[in-house]
Amino acid sequence: MGAINGVTIAIVLFGIGLLGLILRRDLVIKLLALGLVNGSTILCLVSLNARVDGVAPIVHSQASAPYVDPLPHALVLSAIVINFAILALALVFVMLLVERYHTTDSQRIEHEIEGERIP
Amino acid sequence: MRRSSLYMIITASALVICFCALLMMMFEYRGAREEAGAAYIERGAIDTGAANLVSAIYLNYRLFDTLFELLVFSVAVLGVRFYLAEQKGSEEEIARIPESQVIRTAADLLFPPILLLGIYLVLFGHLSPGGGFGGGTVAGTGLLLCAVALGADVVARRFHEAALERFEWEILLAILLLVLIPVLLGRLPFTDLLPRGRLGSLASGGSILIYNALIGIKVFIGTWVVIYSFVRHRGEI
Repeated sequence: MGAINGVTIAIVLFGIGLLGLILRRDLVIKLLALGLVNGSTILCLVSLNARVDGVAPIVHSQASAPYVDPLPHALVLSAIVINFAILALALVFVMLLVERYHTTDSQRIEHEIEGERIP
Repeated sequence: MRRSSLYMIITASALVICFCALLMMMFEYRGAREEAGAAYIERGAIDTGAANLVSAIYLNYRLFDTLFELLVFSVAVLGVRFYLAEQKGSEEEIARIPESQVIRTAADLLFPPILLLGIYLVLFGHLSPGGGFGGGTVAGTGLLLCAVALGADVVARRFHEAALERFEWEILLAILLLVLIPVLLGRLPFTDLLPRGRLGSLASGGSILIYNALIGIKVFIGTWVVIYSFVRHRGEI
């Protein structure tokens, strides 16, 4: 396996996603970065147990090569469903914030909330 | 301001470094992990009767996990519906995109195959790639295509949205009851009571087919409810 494989790409994507999540101020871009982090996690789980000569873990009689480990694939399913749940709910909250404050900038929303508190 | 963003960068790099260290350790544990997988590969098909070992794991060995996954999905759908219904209780018509012959014809042509593909993915989830989650999402997005072509209100009127929402929770209840039925017979919960069947035939895999069908319907309804909530809240498709 060379230096550029699924795991290293997943690490780089995870770093980019995490930096975007922390540094960018736009809430929608934060959510996109969260999706990137989730995608990199899935890529990592799948490529960790990838084998050059492996076949998908679906049992059939003329399998020419060993099956790959099916357990990470089952875990990826949970990751996908939970990512869907998080994204859907977070998008709803972003929509509610935008309707109230008319911006997706997290810092401006914070300032406005602080301004509301001290009348 | 400068300090806090510097602190954030340090935190982020520490997190990335920890993540990398964890990955290195996972390489070390490769041998042990392959042993765990080997047990599933060796006995999975015999134990569960399902050719697709991934669905054998998440609908038989680890059904407990999948139950809570379903609960997460239901709560997300409920949350989207609840918070978006709070805002606008108005009954105004949803603005349609302008009538387009191209979209209308494409929807007429593509909707039946998409629905069929969804049903196939659900029914053959224990034999080939697919399963309840994937198939339900495929069929649900087919409905989105219909909503684009016909208008979301027309599709919603045909599908009785309020009753569907209840039905989704009733399916969760049905799955819970199916899981608990073995208790009445003096077995442990989550025991698969149905025969394994011949490997590779449609009626193999014990109850996996039933779970897949129930999850498929549930995800189909959930996807549509989420799409419809967003469309109605925006006021246009």
